[in-house]
Amino acid sequence: MIKNYFKIAWRNLLKKKGFTAINIIGLSLGIGCFIIISMFVIDELSYDQYHDNANRIYRVNSDVIFGGTEMSMAVSSDPMGEVLKKDYPEVENYVRFYASNGSKLIKKGNEFINEGAVAHADSTLFKVFTLPAIVGDTNTALNNPNTVVITETAANRYFGSPQLAINQFLETDDNGKTLYKVTSVIEDMPRNSHFNFDFFFSMANVDYGFGNYMSHNFHTYILLKEGTDYKDFNKNFKEIINKYVLPQAAQFIEISSMEDFEASGNKLEYTLMPLTDIHLHSSRGAELSANGNIQYVYIFSAAALFILLIACINFINLTTARSSSRAKEVGIRKVLGSEKKALIGQFLTESTLIAILALFVSLLFVWLSLGWFNGVSGKEMYMTSLLSPKFLIFIIVLPFIVGGLAGTYPAFFLSSFKPIKVLKGKLSLGNKKNTLRNFLVVFQFATSIILIVGTIVIYKQLNHIQNSNLGFNKEQVVVVNNFGLSRETRQSLKNEIEQLTEVKSASFAGYLPVSSSSRSDTTFSTETVMTESNGFNMQYWNIDYEYLETIGMEMKLGRNFSRDFGSDSTGIILNETAVKLAGFTNPIGKKLYTIDGDNSLEAYTIIGVVKNFNFASLRENVGGLCFQLGNNSWETAFRFNTTDVSGLLATIENKYKAAGPGMPFNYEFLDEAFDNMYRQERRVGTVAMAFAILAIIIACLGLFGLATYIAEQRTKEIGIRKVLGASVSNIIRMLSKDFVKLVILAFVIATPIAWWFMDKWLQEFAYRIDINWGVFAVTGLVALIVALITLSFQAIRAAIANPVDSLKTE
Amino acid sequence: MTNSLLSLNEATKTVNSGSNKVTLLDNIDLQVKEGEFISLMGPSGSGKSTLLNCIGMLDSFTGGGYTFLGEPVHSMKEKNRSKLYKEYIGFVFQAYHLIDELKVWENIETPLLYKNVKSSERKALVADMLDRFNIVGKKDLFPQQLSGGQQQLVGIARALIGEPKLILADEPTGNLNSKQSTEIMELFSKLNKEGVTIIQATHSENNASYGSRVVNLLDGKIVS
Repeated sequence: MIKNYFKIAWRNLLKKKGFTAINIIGLSLGIGCFIIISMFVIDELSYDQYHDNANRIYRVNSDVIFGGTEMSMAVSSDPMGEVLKKDYPEVENYVRFYASNGSKLIKKGNEFINEGAVAHADSTLFKVFTLPAIVGDTNTALNNPNTVVITETAANRYFGSPQLAINQFLETDDNGKTLYKVTSVIEDMPRNSHFNFDFFFSMANVDYGFGNYMSHNFHTYILLKEGTDYKDFNKNFKEIINKYVLPQAAQFIEISSMEDFEASGNKLEYTLMPLTDIHLHSSRGAELSANGNIQYVYIFSAAALFILLIACINFINLTTARSSSRAKEVGIRKVLGSEKKALIGQFLTESTLIAILALFVSLLFVWLSLGWFNGVSGKEMYMTSLLSPKFLIFIIVLPFIVGGLAGTYPAFFLSSFKPIKVLKGKLSLGNKKNTLRNFLVVFQFATSIILIVGTIVIYKQLNHIQNSNLGFNKEQVVVVNNFGLSRETRQSLKNEIEQLTEVKSASFAGYLPVSSSSRSDTTFSTETVMTESNGFNMQYWNIDYEYLETIGMEMKLGRNFSRDFGSDSTGIILNETAVKLAGFTNPIGKKLYTIDGDNSLEAYTIIGVVKNFNFASLRENVGGLCFQLGNNSWETAFRFNTTDVSGLLATIENKYKAAGPGMPFNYEFLDEAFDNMYRQERRVGTVAMAFAILAIIIACLGLFGLATYIAEQRTKEIGIRKVLGASVSNIIRMLSKDFVKLVILAFVIATPIAWWFMDKWLQEFAYRIDINWGVFAVTGLVALIVALITLSFQAIRAAIANPVDSLKTE
Repeated sequence: MTNSLLSLNEATKTVNSGSNKVTLLDNIDLQVKEGEFISLMGPSGSGKSTLLNCIGMLDSFTGGGYTFLGEPVHSMKEKNRSKLYKEYIGFVFQAYHLIDELKVWENIETPLLYKNVKSSERKALVADMLDRFNIVGKKDLFPQQLSGGQQQLVGIARALIGEPKLILADEPTGNLNSKQSTEIMELFSKLNKEGVTIIQATHSENNASYGSRVVNLLDGKIVS
């Protein structure tokens, strides 16, 4: 029976090649898109699952609000891990990462390589996380100072193989020069991990004022004992704060009690976050890598599902529209004894067969577009990942689901024909039962329109970010990394490059207004005694005399730092927000107080106010910030003015190499660093555009099929009308009118939905565009024009056909 | 000895056409015995096709009684009715109604699929039938590749393959020329002699002459 079904299905497919092609192309685009997004989603959901104890590991997050400045951090204070383990038996173990240095220079031969994937870790690292060793004993590997555990990749890079690496020494630039002994080599970390280091150095070598509850610089992970509820455990942090944090804080700030602290709008809170939630649910300060976003996982999944639905709708519409050509067969089969059930089975077999064919074609699409998608999404997915057992089952089941989704309604529709009616031959099913078909066409176009609007809004917002007034000038600034050079060399190199005619100005600029740059914040108060109400936290950046000019910032009040004033070492420049936080109306000359590193009270005088500039992402409002004169020379920024940028870079590189032989030359352009802050948005924009294009292509394929069928069916009518004097344009209008109405209806329905979604998306940005009618007008016009072009192919063909031919065949 | 195959007792068929009630079949009384060859005659619209469809259980009477092989069809559920006609009735149509996408032998095989006959047995039965109708050489052709007479031959072979007790033929030669008509009618006559009961609807006196009895219809009533 099944064999018979397949046979007739196959012959039907061959007979109606046009419809088969439309169905298979549409479905395969839909399925291909669905498979790629499934791969993406599965990869996103797999993060950090590879640890044996993945479901018992938690990160300690900190949330601090002080003086109106809010900080959500992925780090906590250095004693936190140990205190938790000591005081609470539920805590089986803990491990900390210290990665604040960002990168290290590591010596290979006579050259230094700038390694970014470095961290210092506690010796308990391997008791918490699962990082299998290739050589060496990880249980003891980090017990002693000056030890390092490296991955296979690192071992190959520096020593040739893991076996050759063991017990060898790595030279780093820590404190000028520090040697670390390789005590173990581990397998490379899986890519789907929220932290990805190649070097784990011993914690004992971290140069840090340990025992400090006030600074948050350590990524702390704890392993809870089986059966511990982490939400319950969170309550213990109140106790920790009262017992350890407050007593230490009281040395700096007059805090009477936690209640008073909180009553003045402040907050100090620690919470546990499950390890496996980090990748998709965390975007805090000091994350170890750019995490994903569960919202985008949802949005992509929904979009992929909708595209698959649009493709299924094509099948439904084309099959039911063509039903009269199958009606006779249904009638005969019923007369020959077929039950309705058997006919439903037959039609479902057909739709499944099409879905299977579409699956094969879709795998071709996946293969062709995977490279592009990897580039856009920053993933590394391969066709071979489809061969994992789970995915294989998914792929095998998929055509049956799609076949069912697309085939069920047509199967019931077709199999319900009454044999005597269809066998009498006078049945024109094509034009009846239009309500559902119209609804489905509207659905297809509404979805496409929503996706197009989404794409346009995302691109307009990105454009807005590119071109908005940031308060600084990101163009024509190159930032050169100075690590590995001595302080004197940095200065002489800076002076030398400054002499170049192409270079306008130069500044030691360790802090830059892009989020990938270093950050430092401190607490200030307006009175000499800090209380919970007069204190506030703000960014605190050391800059030099040339900084404001080089980065292109504007003074609003007062003056810049100047060598002409001897007292500028106690002067500060605030931004507008900081003035507001302090509550000054005439800030110039006012004083602010802070506790310095050696626990002494320092007073600073405000000498100027700089216009607000965006130093974080445009998602956030500008926070408080103050500049102080200082010298942090790990980066030099050069403002240049030349069209020969590569020539200038080559000159700078030569000078750099001459100043620091063997040191790696690293640089970035400020505008590129700025663009990188919106990489995720740009990705979403690109994927949304791909979705929108796919959706409209598939929807138009369906429209094309329907138009073909309708034109075919109305050939005789068109012939008669032409004989009676209808013009070609009359006929085209007649054939297109109904579909154009549907597209307009789809537009009306899609507009408020798209508006709502995109308005919600834009709320994430403190600086955002308004959605205006222009976006919708453009989208509506695009949808209408594309639909009209699609329709006109068939309509014009039908309209210019010679009526004699169509009438003769009767 | 001849058994009663079916009997109609005041069978009536009415349909609603707009607000009017139209009577298509009006109190039909008809007894058909096994082995009969009945010709239904009458002008267009007299109800021949409707009567055939109702007897064939593709349509149902709206009143009166219909007994087939002793079973009351009028009070039967759709499912049992379809089981009954699947088992005992074969249809032959004026327009042949072969499935265009299936080859000759596959068309003949189709009723067996719905009776869940095993594959090997199906092959054997189809081979017999092709042999009996001398169309072995055409078995791999599609319907469009055959002449009208040959298509009707396939239609009859398909109707016979399930070994029905009754063949219902609605104008079986309506689309054929006289030579082909004669061949088909001679085939029917031969089948009837082999024991198959046949009811045909026809306009042609000549065709009717092959049958054992003529039933004349006019405006939904039996007139003789």
